[in-house]
Formats: sequence, structure tokens, C-alpha cells
Amino acid sequence: MTEFITIPALVITLLLPIVSAAVAFVIKEKFGWLTPILCTLLLLAAAAAILYTLFSNPELTEHYTLRWFTAGNTTLHTGILSTPGTRLMAASVLVVAAMVHVFSIGYMAGDNHPDRYFGFLGLFTAAMLGLVYSSNLLTTFCFWELLGFCSYRLIAHWQQKPAAAVAATKAFLLTKTGDLAFLIGLLILWAQHGSLEYTALTNTTGWSTLAGVCIFCGVIGKSAQFPLLNWLPDAMQGPTPVSALIHAATMVAAGIFVLVQLAPALSPATLAFMTAVGITSAIAGAIGAWLETDIKKILAYSTISQLGFMVLALGLGEITGAFTHLVHHAFFKAGLFLAAGAILHSMHQATHQQQADVQDIRNLGSLRLHLPYTFLGFIVCAAALAGIPGTTGYVSKELILTAVHAKNFWWLELSVWLIVVATPLYIFRLLWFAFLKPAVHSLAGTEVPWIMRLPVLVLAVGSITYLFRQGHFDSFATYYLQSSYSIPQNIAFTSLALTGASLLIAWLIRNKTTGTTEFLLKKILDWVNAGVVRLATTLATVTQTLDVKWIDRFLHAIAYTKVGLAHMVGWADRNVVDGTVHGTTLVLRSVGNLTRSVVNGKIQSYLLWAMAGLLIFIIWILY
Amino acid sequence: MPYISFLILIPIVIALVALFIPTRYKFIFSRLALAATILQLVLCVGMIVHFQPGEGLQLVERHSWISLTLNNWGRLQAEYLVALDGLSLPLVVLSVVIMLIATISSWHIAKSRKGYFILLLILNAAIIGSFCALDFLLFYVFFEFMLLPMFFLIGMWGGPRREYASVKFFLYTLLGSIFILIVMIGLYLSVQSPESTDEVVHTFNVLHMQQAKNFIAGSLLDFTGAGNWRLWAFALLFIGFAIKVPVVPFHTWLPDAHVEAPTPISVILAALLLKVGAYGILRFVYPVFPDAAIYFSDWVAGMGVVSIIYGALNALASKDLKRLIAYSSVSHMGFVLLGIASATTEGIAGAIYQMVSHGIISAMLFLIAGVVYDRTHDRLIENYSGLALKMKYYTSFTVIAFFASLGLPGFSGFIGEVLIFFGAFQSNAINNLVPLWMPVVATLGLLLGAGYYLWTLQRMFFGPFSIRANFTELTDLTAREYLMLLPLALLTLLFGILPQLLLDFINPFAATFTSTWFLFSTNATP
Repeated sequence: MTEFITIPALVITLLLPIVSAAVAFVIKEKFGWLTPILCTLLLLAAAAAILYTLFSNPELTEHYTLRWFTAGNTTLHTGILSTPGTRLMAASVLVVAAMVHVFSIGYMAGDNHPDRYFGFLGLFTAAMLGLVYSSNLLTTFCFWELLGFCSYRLIAHWQQKPAAAVAATKAFLLTKTGDLAFLIGLLILWAQHGSLEYTALTNTTGWSTLAGVCIFCGVIGKSAQFPLLNWLPDAMQGPTPVSALIHAATMVAAGIFVLVQLAPALSPATLAFMTAVGITSAIAGAIGAWLETDIKKILAYSTISQLGFMVLALGLGEITGAFTHLVHHAFFKAGLFLAAGAILHSMHQATHQQQADVQDIRNLGSLRLHLPYTFLGFIVCAAALAGIPGTTGYVSKELILTAVHAKNFWWLELSVWLIVVATPLYIFRLLWFAFLKPAVHSLAGTEVPWIMRLPVLVLAVGSITYLFRQGHFDSFATYYLQSSYSIPQNIAFTSLALTGASLLIAWLIRNKTTGTTEFLLKKILDWVNAGVVRLATTLATVTQTLDVKWIDRFLHAIAYTKVGLAHMVGWADRNVVDGTVHGTTLVLRSVGNLTRSVVNGKIQSYLLWAMAGLLIFIIWILY
Repeated sequence: MPYISFLILIPIVIALVALFIPTRYKFIFSRLALAATILQLVLCVGMIVHFQPGEGLQLVERHSWISLTLNNWGRLQAEYLVALDGLSLPLVVLSVVIMLIATISSWHIAKSRKGYFILLLILNAAIIGSFCALDFLLFYVFFEFMLLPMFFLIGMWGGPRREYASVKFFLYTLLGSIFILIVMIGLYLSVQSPESTDEVVHTFNVLHMQQAKNFIAGSLLDFTGAGNWRLWAFALLFIGFAIKVPVVPFHTWLPDAHVEAPTPISVILAALLLKVGAYGILRFVYPVFPDAAIYFSDWVAGMGVVSIIYGALNALASKDLKRLIAYSSVSHMGFVLLGIASATTEGIAGAIYQMVSHGIISAMLFLIAGVVYDRTHDRLIENYSGLALKMKYYTSFTVIAFFASLGLPGFSGFIGEVLIFFGAFQSNAINNLVPLWMPVVATLGLLLGAGYYLWTLQRMFFGPFSIRANFTELTDLTAREYLMLLPLALLTLLFGILPQLLLDFINPFAATFTSTWFLFSTNATP
């Protein structure tokens, strides 16, 4: 009985975002105003469907496979693996995506290209859902690449802005660099196991470290981990709702989710490597967020930091904590981004005349008065990010902290505590500058329309709802969440004390504006990127020179020698030989004609002669 | 029904008819060419229905052609032998589709239309003939027949440096032809037909050449023969076809020919003529010289990898849009070579898949370059910016073609490349022909590919609108251009999502190719 309900619900969930994308692309420009509404309704319906599946059938695990193609002995499948974990992820993706759609109705109201915007938004969501439900690493890779493509198009949505186009290219190329490693890892796995099904992969222990590291390198690109993290701050050139989607539910989340799927099978060395990369990114992101003054870039660095935190947890084997944090992060980070979008929207309308950069937090202030609802949403989401008790972020953070503590590495623990302290610092600074501090400019933003307030509030509510904790929610999460949530008291106490102390420090130094110190790491990484690009272009110039100057010149030299020879023979033919030795003349003339015909363009005759000559030559040689 | 002969004869007959129509009826020639290709397409549909995948060579037509008794030299025998299998069928169908699109693309050719369309029809027949012929001499005739129309089509209807480009193209390819000719004669002298027992019958039949027992003992190219003539023969034959593929360093004719050729000719050149080279390697070089192929496998794979990287780097350096696409062809055909060198079923199937896929995608790419050239007569990338603002649908098709070409899943290029990578990676374990580092290095080609395409998009299509020439009114795609681009876009999407449609035909060929190939090579090596 249950199957009759879940399968249609599953199909609806997967298809509606695609339908939404198709609708957006198909609708004529004349009816462009319809696009946002229709697409949003479709996404809301998809979110409702997934929530229904989530609650109606918590325990269900379904696995459908389909042969995709066969070549030689290689048969590749594609399929759907629906477990409580994938459904939960899909739910967070769809809820966030639906909220982003709702928000976009207001935010993108004046945009001339709703078809492109909503089309790729729908495709982006669909690709992420495909990745979540995929039962096979190759299918995952396909959707993984599609995510990259969609993010490329969305970051470059305002493509007439050169900076947007550059940022999109950078994002695609940096993630593609990681994807190469992913592909190689996938091939190694295929060579080792002869199957790419998750069920086959996760049950086999003893993956080679190389395969694991390769796949993790793909995650480094996609989830903006060190050292491929510098595309994410630049990607802020895209529309803000897109950033919300990229940072919360799609793209960067994809990397973590794939790791969650594969983590049980990774080798200890791979896990150690992941821990190192995770901790580096988490700290680097926190520092970047502290130094940055652009509201969107602060959030971007914060994402890098939080993702690093999850990677670290996965490296320690704390899959539950990482996955929980991924879902929680989806809600509060999307909320923060949409709130930032609301601020920008309201300020842009207020500051059409003034030249102040409204994305710079130093130009903002006292927005709590102008945008009370957004303020409310923002403060809740920020609390979740900082890990204040009572929010979802607190729970997942504590889970990870417990796992770290259990490992008993003092340096590891130290760096994690550092992140615990740093997160409230930067997010409070943002809160202070944007909402609390008296305004510098006389900019009076007006509250945004309800259609933009509601999504923020919904996501804020999502950030204080324990999806995992209470009552019957426990049951459907058992697949991923076997451990209970008893957090050791000493951990809870330490983290509480540190968060409180951090907030206190943040309050004390609230008026110390950081200058325009650029984040050195980002500068270095950008410099390295530029170096690689320069290397490639230099190599390209070298090969071009090789082609045009050397190979072609060599050929021209041969051609000119031939022509020269033909002229010489011709000259000899006319002046020296002519009339003296008749027999030789005949031969020479034929040779001369033969070579000269190249110059005349009578190539047919050359062909004939060449064939005849060769035939004679070969027969003469052989017999 | 002799499908293949009809396919080859239709364009020839129509060309003959066109020959007798006075030049002043300008518009009838394009219609005749279109009618020929449509007729061929209908035949193709019938052919696909008749074709039984997995049954080997089919629709065989065999007639005696040349039979000369040369006394003590035995008897010379060449046949009209045409047939189709899983390798040639996809390529023949591709040829017909591309020819149809090239004909549509040629619709507004201004200069001497009669000559143009007659040459196009001859080219059509020659291409299909070379994909079907199984007699080496017959193949060679078709192969050479492709050169002449191509030479004139570039040399008369091309751009400013058309004469240089056409002569260069011709001499290069002719050099290849001569190499092929030498080996063909050597093979002819070394192989005897097993069908006749009472006298020595020298045959050009490729199927006979593919069996060790048919080599005359002690002949030049016999397996047991002294010297390494077989290695030399392999190298010559390989280079002969490699020039056509083209493989670095035998490729410099390609960018010039492409840049100067008119759009439809570029389309044919990239989509079909390059495939003839790869087809030749799969049909002649590898099956006839498996021992030498194993000996040279590192080199073949290495040349593939060098082509991938070198072509991509050159594309990155190109300032001319058409030149960029031409070099990207070099890069993508390098993948084909890598797949062939792996000699695994996946690699071979992937190589054939990539050939078909590249045929579709490169045709799209050159049509796209043609769209903007038609409007402004300018192909320099730096002279454009922000085309997306003026030509929305054109930009959409460009994005589709670029991403299909750089291997985005969902498009056919991805399937071909993934299969080639599967093959090349497995080769190390199965037959140890391709070292493992080669496919790893080859992945860099994917990154470089993304690099040059995205950079082009960024420079030409994004940013604020500006254009060197005075064309403020750039019109978006016309109905005729949709008619060409849309089917190709749909095809690459179709083969990207449902690869089995094509693999059903390719798989049996790839399987028999590798199995018989290994049997042959192990039997042959002493």
C-alpha cells in the first residue's frame, strides 16, 4: 500500500523541478510575468511532496536500478536510491529551493530574463535532486557536472557585467579542476571493483587511498575547500538568491553529501587527509569572514568555514554530525543569504542617487528599525550559525565537538575550539554593523514586501526546529543517525562558555572596524590561479609558435626547395641540355614537368605521375 | 535491395543530370542536391531497419571489377565489395545527415552554383563510398576522389588565403595517400585470395588481408618474413591516415583549411573527412597489422595524448573563432586515437562513439562560427563583446554546442569520452597497451577545453555589447539556421541521454574487433 503512495510522490518530487525549468524556458517573452509564479508554485508542490514522503514513510528504503548503457564488458546503471537520509537531504534541498523561488519573485521583479533565471534555478534544483537520489557514482558525477554548469549560468546571470562573467568562468574552471580528480578516482574505483553502485562501494572496505583522495579532491573543488576555495567569494557576483541556493542546498552541499555517502568506505589515510583539509578550510574561512567587509562575502567565507567543519567531522568518522550539520546549515545559511538579499534590495531602492556601496557593511546601520522582520529572521539564523543553545546549529556543532574530543588530539581540539570562538565573532560583527549600530549614511531602507519576508522567516523557523530530535522524527533518521544525542557535559559546558566569551569579546570590540585588509590567503590563491592561467597561455603561445613558425616553415622550406629545383631543372633543360643530348632531355623534361606541375596547380597530373612512378619503382624493386 | 550502391549512385546520377542543366538555372542545383540528400536519408532509414546489429557485415554487395591474368605474377583481382557493419553504419548515417545540413547551409552560395553543387554531390558519393568499401583499391579510389572536390571547394569558394590553404590541404593529404598507396601495393603483393586454390590470386580484399593465413609465405609483408617490413608498413599506413585525422604533428593543414573554407565545407571537413582518417585506422591499420599495432601502441596512445593537449593549447591561443574550433577538433580526435590505442572493447566503442558525437558537435560549432561570419565577415574573437545582448537564441545554441563539446553530461561527447577513459584505464590491466599515466594526463585536455570555450563565451558573448564593424542591427538566427542547428542539438542530446541507441550498433563490432584482433595478433606473433 505504501508503495503506491511513495513512488508517485518520489516521481513528482524529481520531475517537478524539471517541469519548472521547462516551463521557464518555453513560456514566451510576452508572458514573462507568469514565469516566476508558475515556477514557484511547482517548486512549492515539489517541496510538499517530499515532506509528505518524509513523514508518511520514515523507514522506507527503495532502490531502483535501470541499465543505462553497455559497452564491451562495461554495463553502467543508473538508478534511484531512496533512503531516509537521501529523503531528508532532498527535503532540505527542496524547502530551501522553494523559499529561494518565493524570494526571487520579489528580488528579481525588475529582471529582464526571468526565463533564464528561473529555468536554470529549476535545473539547478533538479540536478541536485538527481545527485541526492542517484544510486551510482557515475550518475552522481553526471549530475555533479550539471550542477557546475547551472551554477556557471546563474553566477553569470547578469552577463553584461564583465565581473560576473569572469567570476562564473573562474567558478567553473576551479570546480572542473577538482572534477578531473573525481573522474580519475571514479575510474580507479571502476578498475578495482567493477561496479560504481553505492551499495557495492560502501560495503567494500579497503578502498585504495588514491581513489578516495581523488574523489575527495573533487569535493575540494565543489565544496570550496582549501586550496580551491577562492571561487566562492567571487561567485557573489551572481544574484543573491542564487548565492543562497549555492551555499545552502546545491553545489557546495553536493560535495559534502557525496562524502557522507562514501565516508564509511574511505581508508584511514584518506580520512586523515580530509581532516587536515577540513580544519584548514574551517580556520581560513573564519579568518576570511572576519577580515571581509562585503556582506555577501562574509557569508561566503562563513560557508567555507562551516563546510570545512563538516569535512573535518567526516574525516573523524562523525558522519551523523556532519550530515546533521549539513541539513541544519542549509536552513540557516539560506536564511542569512536571503536576509542579506532583502537588505540589498531595500537599500538599492533607497540609494539610487548616492554612490555608497550598500554591500559594504560599514555603510549600513540601524536596519533593525527599517527591516524588523528581516532582522528577526537574521538574528535567529545568525544564532544558529554561532551555535547558541536552542538553535539547530547548536545540536550539530555539539555532535561534532564530541567526536573531536573523543579523538584526543590536543591540536585538533584546539583548532576546533578556535572555530567555535571565531564563528560568533564574525557573525556578531555583521549583525552589529548591519542592524544595530547607528547608521553612517542617512539611508533609510524600507521593509521589503511580504513575499521576501516570509522565506526568511520560514527558514528561521527551520533553524530552531529540531528535525532530528523530537518524537517520531527520530525513527526516520535512524539510517544515518544511529547515535543518540547525549552530549557529554564537559563539552556542552566548554562550548557554552566559549561561545559566551566570544560574544562578549565581540560586543567589546564592536566598534573596531576592520580596515580594508585583504585576506592574504585569498590573494595568494588568486595569484597562484593567475600563475597557472599564465602558464597555460604561455604554453599555448609556444605551441602556436611551434605550429605556425616551425612546422609550417619547415613545410614551406620543402615546398620552396622543390619549386627552386623545378626551376633549376627547367633552366638546365632550356639552356644546357637542349639540343645536345636528346635522350636525356626527354627524361629531364618529364621530371621537370612533374615537379613544375606542383607550381601550376595541375595536381591531377602530379597524382598520375606519382602513382605511375611508384608502381614502376616498386615492381622494379621487387622483381 | 542494394542499399549501399543506391546511396553511392544517387548523388552521382544527380550530379550527372545537373551537368546537363544550363548554368543560368541557378536555383535548380541546390534543389537537386537537397533532393539527393533527402533521398539518401530515406534510404538510410530503410537501411537501419534492415540492419541486424550483431550479425557482422551486412548488405554485402560483391561484383567482380578488375581481373587481370599476369602470367607468372598470378592474377590481379579487385572487386566492387561494399558492406556495412557496426563501424560503418553509424558513420554512413552521420554522413548523410551532415550532407543534408551542409546542403541547407550552402543554400545562398553566390559564386558558380552549378559547379559548387556538382562538386558537393561528388564529395557526398566519395565519402559514403569510402565508408562502405571493403576492397582496398575501391576504398583508395573513393578516398582519392574526396580530395579533388574538396580541393576545388576550398580553393574556389574559400576565404582570402584560399589558394594557399587548398594547395596545402591537397599536398598534405596527397602525401598521406602516397603512403597508403605504397602499403596497399605491398599488401596486394603479399596477400592471396583463399577462395582460389589452383592459382595465386592477388587480392585487394581487406577481409582477406585481416587473416594471417592469407599472406603468401616469404612475401614482403608476411608475418614470418625477414626484416621489419611489417612495422614500416604499419607506420606508413598509420601516418597516411593520421594526416587525415589529423594527429599532431601532421595537422597543420587543418587550421588553414578550416579558416579558409566556406562554412558548409568546414562542416563536412570536420564532421566527415576527419572521420575517414580514424575509420581507416580502425578498418585497415589495426586489423591488418595487429602485431605492429601492439608494438607501436605506446606511440599511438602517446600521439593521441599529445594531440589532446597540443590541440587544446593551440585552441587556447587562437584569436580566430574558426581556428579555435579547428584546433578543438584536433584535441577531440586525439581522444579517438587514445581509445583505439587501448584496443579494449570500451575503448573501441568509445572511439566510434566519439567519432559520431564529434561529427555532430563539430558540425554545430562550425555552423555557429558561420552564423556570425555571415553577418559581419569577421571572425576575430577580440572584435566582439556582449553578443548575448543582441542575439539571444544564437547565444543559447552556442552555449549548448560549447558545453556539448567540452563534455557536459547529457550530451553525446561525455559518453564518448567516458568510454574512452574506461577503456584506456582498463588497458593497463587487460592488455598493457596504454600506460596508466596517459589517460590521467589526457584529463587535462578536458580542463583546457573548458578553458578555451568559457574564455570565448566570456569575451565574445558576455560583457557590454560592442563590435568592431558597424553592425548595430545584428539579427538573431534565421529559420534556415534553426533548421540546421536544432536537429544537431537534439541529436547530441539524444545520444547523450540514450547512448544505447547507438551502442547497440557499435558494441558487436567493438566486441568482434577486439576478440578477433587478439586472436590474430597472438597467432601471428611467433
